[in-house]
Amino acid sequence: MKITVVKKMKADGTLCRKSANVIDDLNRLGLVDQIDEFVVAEEHEPTSQGIALALKHNVDAAPFFIVEEGDSTRVYTTYFLFLKEIFNQEVSEDDEIAEIMAQNPDLSFI
Amino acid sequence: MQLDITHLALEYENKDPQEILKLALDKFDRISISFSGAEDVILIDMASKIKADFNVFSIDTGRLHPETYQLLDQVREHYGIPLEIVFPESSEVETLVKEKGLFSFYRDGHQECCGIRKVRPLRRKLATLDAWITGQRKDQSPSTRATIPVVQIDAGFSTSNHKIVKFNPLANWSSAQVWQYIVVNKVPYNTLHTKGFISIGCEPCTRTVLPNQHEREARWWWEEAVDKECGFHKANLVRNESGVAR
Repeated sequence: MKITVVKKMKADGTLCRKSANVIDDLNRLGLVDQIDEFVVAEEHEPTSQGIALALKHNVDAAPFFIVEEGDSTRVYTTYFLFLKEIFNQEVSEDDEIAEIMAQNPDLSFI
Repeated sequence: MQLDITHLALEYENKDPQEILKLALDKFDRISISFSGAEDVILIDMASKIKADFNVFSIDTGRLHPETYQLLDQVREHYGIPLEIVFPESSEVETLVKEKGLFSFYRDGHQECCGIRKVRPLRRKLATLDAWITGQRKDQSPSTRATIPVVQIDAGFSTSNHKIVKFNPLANWSSAQVWQYIVVNKVPYNTLHTKGFISIGCEPCTRTVLPNQHEREARWWWEEAVDKECGFHKANLVRNESGVAR
């Protein structure tokens, strides 16, 4: 299994808020060593590897997670789903709902 | 069932809402229309002309306008359908209200309350379905709905074991087209629309707007714009795709 995490770097050289939070959380959980590759999507570099991966997998926000195993590739845009399914981590429903809403702001209008 | 959703989204991008709705109802048995009590009522009218038995659900947050409750019952009788009302978990609402009162959203933002009263029950409902149908339109929000496809995998609620497909048959329609349909087809509608309401949600979080104000300004007006710093600029993706370097 190969796990790639794509994080976004803003024009000022810092990570976007959510990418930074996810990296912190992976460190806190002791999982960062199990990530095979971190790829950067640079805000002002459309040819950067992370932007190319976003385009390839039709993803429009960072961070996202690519899990390759044999011939299959799974792309996770939801961090807590990635944690739950790949690392069998316990995730609270509050955290899951908060992330779903953050990624889908239109849900409030349903 | 294996469907190529990306291919279907392209194939149906320029088709009429009725054709998209028919595709959805033909392809899925476990499918339901999400009815908010606003202009999306036209989906119910369209579905009633496609087949007799179809499913509709609404989420009762407990904070809707009286006019919305009246419309829900009016629609149930008008179309003779067993409109399913989905409620939030009472214990979760009780905890929120006990800890933060009835109007915490004005102080803490609407996400927590919407999460408990709307998104959790929605997720519980969607877990019983393979597909759902929404009234989302591109013209409702240039910032968050401008690119919604007519059909998509619902990334927010799908899991590896259970993919949920979301149909947005009205994606390409304008508000004017929706209202023309309502008038021509004599579709029952929420009387709040006659009182100046454009976007209709929960009573404490919805207000009327002035002419030329966007309908999004009618909701959660006390909050600042959503933080979008983690998104990729569309221009970057397009420029990358075309191979044009910076």
